[in-house]
Amino acid sequence: MVFILGVNFQEQKLVKKALETFYALGPQKSSRILAKYSIHPMMKVGSLPQRTITALTAELSSMTIENDARKIVQDNIKRLRDIGTVRGRRHAMGLPVRGQKTRNQIQTARKLNRVERRG
Amino acid sequence: MSVPNGLRCLLRPSTTTSIPARIVPVTVLAASFSSTSLLGKNPLPPKGKAPPSRVKVLPGGHIRAGKKMQLGKFKKNKQVDRSRPPAPGERKAYRKRVTLSNNNALPVEGLEEMSPQAMVDPEKVGRMLALPNELVDQLRAVEAFKPTQTWNMFRQPSILQRKETRELAEKMQAAAGKGETLKLVISGDRLVGKSMLLLQAVSYAYLNNWIVFHIPEGQELTNASTDYAPIPNTAPTQYSQQAYALRILQFLRKANQKLLLDLKTVFPHPELVQHFPVGTSLLQVANAAKEPDSTWPIFNAVLQELTAEGAGRPPILFSLDGLSFVMKASEYRSPAFELIHSHDLSIVRRFVDLLSGKTKLPSGGAVVAATSRGNSPRNPSMELMIAQQEAKQGLREQPVKEPYNRKYDDRVEAAMRDIEVLRLSSVSRSEARSLMEYWAASGLLRTAVDEKAVSDKWALGGNGNLGEMERATLLTMRY
Repeated sequence: MVFILGVNFQEQKLVKKALETFYALGPQKSSRILAKYSIHPMMKVGSLPQRTITALTAELSSMTIENDARKIVQDNIKRLRDIGTVRGRRHAMGLPVRGQKTRNQIQTARKLNRVERRG
Repeated sequence: MSVPNGLRCLLRPSTTTSIPARIVPVTVLAASFSSTSLLGKNPLPPKGKAPPSRVKVLPGGHIRAGKKMQLGKFKKNKQVDRSRPPAPGERKAYRKRVTLSNNNALPVEGLEEMSPQAMVDPEKVGRMLALPNELVDQLRAVEAFKPTQTWNMFRQPSILQRKETRELAEKMQAAAGKGETLKLVISGDRLVGKSMLLLQAVSYAYLNNWIVFHIPEGQELTNASTDYAPIPNTAPTQYSQQAYALRILQFLRKANQKLLLDLKTVFPHPELVQHFPVGTSLLQVANAAKEPDSTWPIFNAVLQELTAEGAGRPPILFSLDGLSFVMKASEYRSPAFELIHSHDLSIVRRFVDLLSGKTKLPSGGAVVAATSRGNSPRNPSMELMIAQQEAKQGLREQPVKEPYNRKYDDRVEAAMRDIEVLRLSSVSRSEARSLMEYWAASGLLRTAVDEKAVSDKWALGGNGNLGEMERATLLTMRY
């Protein structure tokens, strides 16, 4: 088991996939991080040397990921609601924001659209 | 009424409902001629049972079941596979395994063994030569045998001594004699035996006590699957591949052990962690590499020692299969997220510098690369340079560089400007005959090998393309 930014990863996991488990860190950013530290795309977490793990943790802690990134999204929604826009109100009601019909399926909106949005 | 029973009444009449035979016309299920033994045996369905109502009979006699409503299809299947999953790497090992002997094949009497003299002997062209056991161990150590080759069908690994083999062996002999470096690329059609010829070149080197650096697959170096790291203080930046360097050193230790034991160091090597006084055997230096992290300086030291001038070093063979992979941008990325050119990878660079003649082997030797046709990226520059060289040798007309193609690569063209090309073509009928006699003597070909059979298989195999002949003869079960 290897700790990267306080998260425990299995040794067989690809480094790229491990990085992509963080919120707001996708394929593009993870590829760039790999290139920056000269880690090849097939590298497993277990074979990372300790100094690279430390460097990765330092790199990740300087990025806006996880709660910082979620906070940005929540702030944007809150701003919309505070100035009383339709988008803000629809978010607060948990309804679709972009003019979809609401007769049948609005599961995704119910799940995601709220002021304190989680994901 | 329970729910499933209630729903069942909504079912369409399906295969389960039987309709009396007198209502449904009897359909003949088979065509008048059928190659399927099952249908051919019973062309008419048994009289008592009517064919199911929604069954569709297609023109060829194939039957397609109609739509059926399935109840409870979302129920979980309780069958759990309790067998042990394969351990990590097990499946790959199975896929990549090389079997070199088959106890069911007949031993072939009177086969000559491969020897340094036999490989350059014009008398031996067109004969099968058996690989001596020691050589087999060496070749296996450097992974020169490939899983796709048909070693697993015969009792003992043996190779056909071709006209081109002798040509190549003679060139290597001449280069070593004069202390020069032979720079040669093997090209040719698909399945014509390029990798096999490379194997013969490696065999020649081992039999003549050369040092061999063999890279079994060029793509392993460049498809971003082994470690890499920038080498500090190099401009433009070069990259080391420590894990692969360790692998090369392991190849060297296993295959050239005796030779390395006799060679002594001539430089002090202060950069190494372990101290090696001048006069230590090279095997000891090579053995110091155990972890990938500490390999790179040792790899450099070993190469520096082996190419030391005036130290009485043996000739060296650098060989590589799958040239087009090392003649293009690799899949590695630099810290600035740009693709790294393969020639900036240090191991590849050494090979390419030798191939282009930028560096020379002080005690002579050869750099031999084989192109690959099965799995290789298009590489316009490499193809152009090979074609130009072939034109110079009078094998074809001068190729024209496409004016608007932007995929040409100057670095590749510079590297391949001054090479020799050995164009491998099909075998002659006499060579094909001796190969087929070997197949027959091994009990794999069960026909008399006469003029007719040979020309039959020779023509069937694309006019003497060895791989195709093998496919047409050995790899089909029809005799």
